[in-house]
Amino acid sequence: MNIASRLPDTSAAALADRPVTSAKPPFLGFGLGLRHQHYDEILSGNPPIDWFEVISENYMLPGGQPLRTLDRICERYPVVMHGVSMSIASTAPPNFEYLQALKDLARRVEPKWVSDHLCWTGVHGKNLHDLLPIPYTREALDHVVSRVQLVQDFLGRAIVLENVSTYVQFSNSEMTEWEFLSELSRRSGCWLLFDINNVYVSAFNHGYDPMTFLNGIPADRVVQFHMAGHSHMGTHIIDTHDHPVCEDVWDLYAAALRRFGRVSTMIERDDNIPPLDELLLEVARTREMAEKILPRCTQAE
Amino acid sequence: MSDFARQQAEFQRGILDGDDTVLAEILDSQREKRETLFGVYRYAYGSRLVEAMRNDHELLHLYLGDEMFDEMGYAYVKARPSAHPNLRWFSHGLPEFLKSAKPYSDHPVLSDLAALEKALNDAFDAAESKVVELADMARFAPEAWSGLRFQPHPSAFRLDLATNAAAIWLALKNDETPADATALEQPAHLLIWRQDVTPMFRELAAEEAMMWDEAANGIPFGVLCEMLATYDEPDGAAGRGAGYLHGWITAGLLTDVSVGS
Repeated sequence: MNIASRLPDTSAAALADRPVTSAKPPFLGFGLGLRHQHYDEILSGNPPIDWFEVISENYMLPGGQPLRTLDRICERYPVVMHGVSMSIASTAPPNFEYLQALKDLARRVEPKWVSDHLCWTGVHGKNLHDLLPIPYTREALDHVVSRVQLVQDFLGRAIVLENVSTYVQFSNSEMTEWEFLSELSRRSGCWLLFDINNVYVSAFNHGYDPMTFLNGIPADRVVQFHMAGHSHMGTHIIDTHDHPVCEDVWDLYAAALRRFGRVSTMIERDDNIPPLDELLLEVARTREMAEKILPRCTQAE
Repeated sequence: MSDFARQQAEFQRGILDGDDTVLAEILDSQREKRETLFGVYRYAYGSRLVEAMRNDHELLHLYLGDEMFDEMGYAYVKARPSAHPNLRWFSHGLPEFLKSAKPYSDHPVLSDLAALEKALNDAFDAAESKVVELADMARFAPEAWSGLRFQPHPSAFRLDLATNAAAIWLALKNDETPADATALEQPAHLLIWRQDVTPMFRELAAEEAMMWDEAANGIPFGVLCEMLATYDEPDGAAGRGAGYLHGWITAGLLTDVSVGS
């Protein structure tokens, strides 16, 4: 037997061109990012939140209170996992130890989906713990498509990728961010997490109309919205996720609802964490706006 | 190396080393120069890591104050770039850094305080395991006790401190003014662990610390008592050993007791 003739073709081109299909994740309703400051209140009060998103890395731990709490949350609410360290666009080899830990956590949590960001976090064995931007080139697209394929094969599930806020643009980019995301989703089969605040931030920083971005994304590929706040520096906006959602971003959310239809939506606050009640008001607003714009379409599946 | 890989390497050098090469491939925006825009990433790198250190080392931060902690934090960030994808482990090397890097190594209390906080953090999210109860000991016949071997709970960790850092930690925790840092004549033997979900520590007498360390190494109870006899009154060694064992079990420090090798 000629073993070589039976080996899978693992070239980037072969991986990138392989068709991928997976069932679209369900509509979950209107959720919130789980933060440890609210653990007690959530567990004692069962607040009316349709689902929670948890930061994967916060629970990629041996044991203790965080995992015990997560288990209790999972018993009561649908949960999705959202990571910050997959570094899917890095040119360094993937960190398979990290991916295995992510897979182990997913086995425990049984999330509705697993997401991360279209970005890289470091090369040469270093991790900068930031969501770093990429040039929108054909070379980068081929690379990221093949990486997404590999990660999806490793995890045994389609992943969801989020657009990040960016502060710089590269002179060698050959396409727009929305063209890159659309093509990435079409070729790799990954779903998209559309962070409406990040669209607003990047559009301001790079001087384009956020509606152009919004209209450039294929509606059937988006499975989640993030809503968040930011810090305005005058000449540019920094995505701090530490403020309430601003009115411009609420307006963009309304436009996104008209464009994408019903999409699982959540409030994401990463810093300067306010009392739970304050965030519940924002969650309620995401629901109320969706019910107004998309009547009779907002019941969670 | 691909063009994409080269660009990422240059982008990373721009953040870590202040190298401006990558700026040649970055555009000015309509409102701002590329140096300022790239500076967002440069600033975020250090500030994010130092903030993670503040979260992990609240009492060291309190002890040093904002300015000195940040200066120390940025020195650590520069000396030990993160290699782990999870920020949780970034400050793991801090006690060793403070022990070896000037000027911090001139103040051993800093390394001790960091080591104690690290041990408590590690106990907080250490692996789960069953806990031996006093009732479990009843299954061992009296003649089997000299052969009992003990397995510590995964959260248990022994730490020797050369300074009064434990007293300073307690004072800071209780919003009291800490004593001046002093070197101890004999090291303080601490045992750190998690009881249910709460990290704890207590100081052990020298003979209990020896007994714990050797029990963790698999030495059976009978031999441990013989070893205790060299520390203090030989006739009371077995009683003292039983007392220490009782304390470990009621504190949830053991995950298994077995007979034989």
